[in-house]
Amino acid sequence: MLSVAICGAGGLGRRHAENFRLIPDTQVTLIHDAVPEAASALADQLGARVAGSESEVFGDDIDIVVIATPTPLHAYYTIKAAEAGKHVFCEKPMCRTLAQGEEMLAAVEEASVTFMVGHVLRLFPQYARAHDLIVAGEIGEVGVARTSRINTMPSGRGSWFQDYALSGGVTLDMTIHDFDWLLWTFGPAERVYSVGAHQHMPLLDYALTTIRFESGAIAHAEGSWADTGAFRTSFDIAGSKGLLRHDSTQMATLTVQRRGVQEGVAGVQVPESPAARSPYMMEDEHFVECVLSGDEPSITGREALEAVRLALAALESNEAAGKVVEL
Amino acid sequence: MSVRLGIMSFAHLHADFYATAISGLDDVELVGVWDDNPKRGEDAAARYGTEFFAKPEELFAPVNELQGVIVTSENVHHKRDVLAACKAGVDILCEKPISTNIRDARVMIDECERAGVQLMIAFPCRYSPAFLRLRDLVSGGELGEIVCIKGTNRGQNPGGWFTDPSLSGGGSAIDHTVHVVDVIRALLGEEVTKVYAEMDTVFDPDLPAEDAAILTMNFDGGTVVTLDASWSRPANYPTWGDVTMTLIGTKGNASADLFVEHVDTWRAGDGTFLWEPYGHDANADLIADFARCVESGAPVPITGYDGLKAMEVALGAYRADQTGEPVGLPLV
Repeated sequence: MLSVAICGAGGLGRRHAENFRLIPDTQVTLIHDAVPEAASALADQLGARVAGSESEVFGDDIDIVVIATPTPLHAYYTIKAAEAGKHVFCEKPMCRTLAQGEEMLAAVEEASVTFMVGHVLRLFPQYARAHDLIVAGEIGEVGVARTSRINTMPSGRGSWFQDYALSGGVTLDMTIHDFDWLLWTFGPAERVYSVGAHQHMPLLDYALTTIRFESGAIAHAEGSWADTGAFRTSFDIAGSKGLLRHDSTQMATLTVQRRGVQEGVAGVQVPESPAARSPYMMEDEHFVECVLSGDEPSITGREALEAVRLALAALESNEAAGKVVEL
Repeated sequence: MSVRLGIMSFAHLHADFYATAISGLDDVELVGVWDDNPKRGEDAAARYGTEFFAKPEELFAPVNELQGVIVTSENVHHKRDVLAACKAGVDILCEKPISTNIRDARVMIDECERAGVQLMIAFPCRYSPAFLRLRDLVSGGELGEIVCIKGTNRGQNPGGWFTDPSLSGGGSAIDHTVHVVDVIRALLGEEVTKVYAEMDTVFDPDLPAEDAAILTMNFDGGTVVTLDASWSRPANYPTWGDVTMTLIGTKGNASADLFVEHVDTWRAGDGTFLWEPYGHDANADLIADFARCVESGAPVPITGYDGLKAMEVALGAYRADQTGEPVGLPLV
């Protein structure tokens, strides 16, 4: 039985903790969070213990460290965990700076531990299907690949998402999902040009990024933390032999309306697409399989760092107000 | 007494939209058609129950009492036809883009001004009810400061002379940039100061012009805009394409999809799936407004200068694609 420590008891820390509790080969032993109440709420629910000090995360009874902290802390926990011989599952984005990322890769390589970053989008069935169709040549040469990822400004504990220096805004924190998927699908990026509005944070963040790939494909990625509605995503990928399109707002397999939930409001409508297997569960299962077999995860640390490189290039282009950033 | 209009060339498929619009207007009459392709012109004249003239002078003959013309020739011939109409002293509605280079556009604008005839550019999106509502929202400050706009004007490859740069001036970028640039200029009252572009020829690799284009523009008030001006819709796409805009403002957002109104239509007989459009016909409003200006002498709402400024962005985009760097506007 592999013993799991969760660092960061926020939304994603909780999700992974619940997954690892259900995976037969793992048990959640320890919850660590800078806010003790948050840690104990999750620990109580899972029958885990709260770390009395940070050093317990790297203690002898821990095999796997799950890092779901604010982004700038990913490098610190990854390196400490690797040095202690722990396998590491790290949430995306892998790091806030490229230097951090290189140190992380060196540490996990030196320690020969399993390292995986949570680029879960690759496991979402619509994105996996589109990737497979493109790679199989079903739509020929791709000319323009458009992606959209749209949400409200995340509040989160302490609102660290709203601090651009910590989160890197929508581009590093959320659009990086699409960046990873695009790199996975189209190969290395050649140059990037981005415009946006992160100067308006915390009111809103919004960015439109054009990427030219070495393969010739042109991508346009919309990332929004400026919306007022439900989270949604879409893509429209046009090639010489066809067109792929998906819009999450059109694909709800179940919509539930509740009468009288809110005072003065007729009802609240919540569309959803329940999956037989959650992509988040699939990524955690894959990670555990790799820990047990010693195989390299299908999402490599190097790939995760390349996604960060692309996101940081987009931010650099954006901040320079009109700079073409070569990769 | 109805307003007497002529059409110069049916090279552009929009000529049929405009002729149809004229047929539907009580107080506008299609007096005749000239076309440098006689067969095309004769067929069109027969289709709309009007006369074909083999030479522009015959269309402009005093007996016709022509008051205005619609120029729908190949882009490169706009100058030739606008100057002929200008010489004849009739007002002009010119298909977009105004021309294929700045020099021609300036000559067209200057000559019309000198002759005292009006030159209007055909940007029907300005008459879209969704655009008019959006303009009210923006001008009323309901969205706050507009910080970003994401636009698309994607379509199917129109084929024919549109893909011959010696007649069209380029590919999808010159064809599809001008509509969205024009409506954003009208929305914001601002000009583009910088443009960047990535282009390629992908959807039909044999095309002598680009069919994929993503532009990024900076407007002088600080708004940043991207535009997809690609012929990226496949031949079996259920409609011709789209014009969409998503505006991100400090007080709110708005998304417009000007031509989305349709009924999904499956025809079992030939196995096709198509959008049957039911939206408002902005072309009819465009023609009616042009006729109003011709009749009353009121200044046209979309000028040759508007046409020039929209085309200039497309020309800047070509330069950006060639140099790999953003290009400052206006072009010098």
